[in-house]
Amino acid sequence: MNNDAPIRIRGLEVRYGKRSVLSGLDLDIPPGTTLALLGENGAGKSTLLKACLGLRKPKSGTVRVLGLNPVRRPAKVQRQVGYVPDRPDVYPWMSPSELMRFLAPHYSSWDASRARELLEQLRVPQARAFRQLSRGEGMKAMLAAALVPRPTVLLLDEPFGGLDPLVKDEVLRAVLEVLGERKPTVLMATHDLEIALRAADRIAVLAGGRIAREGTPEEIADRRTNEAVHPKDLHRVLAKTREASHR
Amino acid sequence: MNITVDTSGSSPPSVQIVEAILDRVASGELTPGTQLPSVRGLASAVLVNPNTVGRAYRDLAQMGVVRGRSGSGVFVTEEGPGIARDLRSAATLEAVSQAVTEALRAGHSPEHILQVVEGIVAVTTKDAR
Repeated sequence: MNNDAPIRIRGLEVRYGKRSVLSGLDLDIPPGTTLALLGENGAGKSTLLKACLGLRKPKSGTVRVLGLNPVRRPAKVQRQVGYVPDRPDVYPWMSPSELMRFLAPHYSSWDASRARELLEQLRVPQARAFRQLSRGEGMKAMLAAALVPRPTVLLLDEPFGGLDPLVKDEVLRAVLEVLGERKPTVLMATHDLEIALRAADRIAVLAGGRIAREGTPEEIADRRTNEAVHPKDLHRVLAKTREASHR
Repeated sequence: MNITVDTSGSSPPSVQIVEAILDRVASGELTPGTQLPSVRGLASAVLVNPNTVGRAYRDLAQMGVVRGRSGSGVFVTEEGPGIARDLRSAATLEAVSQAVTEALRAGHSPEHILQVVEGIVAVTTKDAR
C-alpha cells in the first residue's frame, strides 16, 4: 500500500439507484504518474473521476485525493485538482477569456497572464463564444483553464475523444509538455489504446466495476500478446543463443 | 536522431525507443560519448510520456549502453557499441533460427533455405546502397 499516492482508492462502491457501477475498486496512483484508465463506454470511467472530485458519494469504500476525502473537503480538493470534462459544456455564450475571468476569483494562485499564454500556446481563439468553437478548440480551452492554477493532480475525461488526428497530436503535445514540466499525477479516462500508450506511463483496465489489470504498457502488452519481450529479457535471449551457437 | 514510435506495433513505446537507440549505437550513428536527447525533448518529438522515455533510458543504462552523468545528461558508453551489436545480433539470430525452423518443418531443403537467405542478403544490401 502506497501512502504517498496522491490518488488512493480502496474498496470503492458507487451505485446509481440499485445498479452498482463500481464495486470493490482498488487503485493507487503514485506521484508524478500518468495513469490511463481504459474501459468500454459505460464501464464507469467518468464515475470514478467524479468520485475523485467528491461529486459521487461512495456507497462504501474510501477515496483519498492528496490525503483528503473529496466528499468532505470538496473545495480543498478541487483547488488542487484540475478537471477536464469529456465535453466542453460551459456556458455556450461564454468565450475562453471570459471563462478564465469567471474562474479567477476561485483560486488564490490564479495568474491571468499565464491563462492568456496557455490559450495562445494552444492556439485557442480567446474571444469567440464556446458554441462557435470546434470540439478541439473547446477541449484545449478547458485544458488551459484546468492548467492555470498549476494543479498537482489532473483528472482528464476522454480529453482526445472526437478530435481529428492533427488536432489530437496538437493537444497530446500540449499535455505531454505539461507532464514533463510540472510532473502532475494524472488520471486520464480513455477508450483509445493509442492515446493510452502515448500519454500514459501506466495503464489500468476498468471492467466489471473494478480494476481488472494494471501496470506499465510493457507489462500489459506482455500479458496480452506474450510476444513483446522486455529489453531486460534480451540478456536471457543473448545467453541462450550464445549457448546454441557453441554447441 | 529520427526516432518514431508506432502505437500499432506489437511492442510497447519504451521497448521501441530502446530498440531504436540500440540500432543507432550498433550501427555507429551514435558513437561513445554522444549525448542522447533530453528526456523531455525526445518525449515531445516522438509523442510519448516523458516517464516512458525515462524508463527506456534506465533500461539502456542497465544494459551498459548508456550512462547518466548527474545533471548533465545521458551519454553512450565506451562499451556501448559492442553491447548493442551483441544484443541486436542475438535478436537477429533468434528471428533467423525461428524462420529456419519453420522452413525445415515445412519441408524445404537446407540448400534451398541457404539459397533463399543468400538471395535476400544480396537484394537487401543492393537496396541499402
